[in-house]
Amino acid sequence: MSGLAHYFEGAGIATTLISLIRDHTMRMKSPRGLAVPFELGRPFGAPNEPDFQRRVLKSALDLLERMDGPVLEDFPDTPPGPPADMEGWSCPVNLAPPPAELSEGAQLAADLKAEIGLLSPWYAQSVAASGGRKLTGQLDLAPDAIAEFLAASLGDPLPDSPVADLPIHRALKLSSDELKFFYIQAALARPGTVTDVEMGNWFYGETLAGALYFKLAAKFEASEEPPLKALGERQLIPAHQRFRMA
Amino acid sequence: MHLHEMPDAARGALINQELPEFEPTPCAPGPALAERRIAIITTAGLHRSNDAPFTPGVGEYRIIPSDIDMDDLVMSHVSTNFDRTGFIQDLNLVFPIERLAELEAAGDIGSVAKYHYAFMGATPPTAMAAVAADLAANLKEDGVDGLILAGV
Repeated sequence: MSGLAHYFEGAGIATTLISLIRDHTMRMKSPRGLAVPFELGRPFGAPNEPDFQRRVLKSALDLLERMDGPVLEDFPDTPPGPPADMEGWSCPVNLAPPPAELSEGAQLAADLKAEIGLLSPWYAQSVAASGGRKLTGQLDLAPDAIAEFLAASLGDPLPDSPVADLPIHRALKLSSDELKFFYIQAALARPGTVTDVEMGNWFYGETLAGALYFKLAAKFEASEEPPLKALGERQLIPAHQRFRMA
Repeated sequence: MHLHEMPDAARGALINQELPEFEPTPCAPGPALAERRIAIITTAGLHRSNDAPFTPGVGEYRIIPSDIDMDDLVMSHVSTNFDRTGFIQDLNLVFPIERLAELEAAGDIGSVAKYHYAFMGATPPTAMAAVAADLAANLKEDGVDGLILAGV
């Protein structure tokens, strides 16, 4: 983002940026920046907090009148949390804990599809509640079809890519993202706010799909094909959940 | 996740990653904030559902007109580490379009631009240089004289 700030400013348009990684903004000498103490991915603080978000935005915009760049100011406040009487976030469905040893092949696919079936009505509810806004839709493949593809991908040889002209490593990445987003959107059906770590703890720690992703990551980490190795090392499990791989 | 909550190795790798070097760019002048026309630039990988998803590593952008149904926006950020839960809970957390309109209504800014633009984060800045120059011309045509760059 700092690079874009230089390019636009150099073209004569004043910029101000929200900085979630203060060190980067400082090192890159961005013309004007507001460093915020928020979670990564949340530049305006917290969801459904319009007054707070507006204050962050106004603080950043106020810097546009400064001509003494590089300017890097600090936003002093953390976002308001949920009310004290509000219960912590929980998924609307109580899923069975994933077994220590996953089933294989067709049985694993069937087990996954059963889990997906439990979440499906909550997915529909969640999409309706968010006005139709979806995380899913980047791959034209239904959750059940993805379940079959991913379950089969634990075996050897790998199945064919389910999408014509899509290399197998891209199919694995996009389909695993798509299925995870289906789970996340379903889990967001219940009112309240949730952080990405809480959501990650649920998906990777409490679902069969999450358990499958660890199996797939372990398999592909050992691959000698670089795109599959990268998938196993970086693309299936986020950094904040890799501790579960020990 | 807060930066301080990340595992030490991951946090260190993120903070200390190699970055392109820039000399300070002279600040562009403009009128008082209450007279400025503001556009949002986001790197959250947002686009309309019918737009093509972003291609990793390419400095391309998508146009987000002010008057579309914002619930049509999708997010195709490539990183596994990227937080998507906030976007679904409240679009304004990453793309503060309603907050900007409120500032316009309150007279804090002059106006909201006709078009906003989305990039994919984690793209090398040099890959964005050419398109940024192209985009600057479009922004000026819309009368934009202030940009809020919302990184993620």
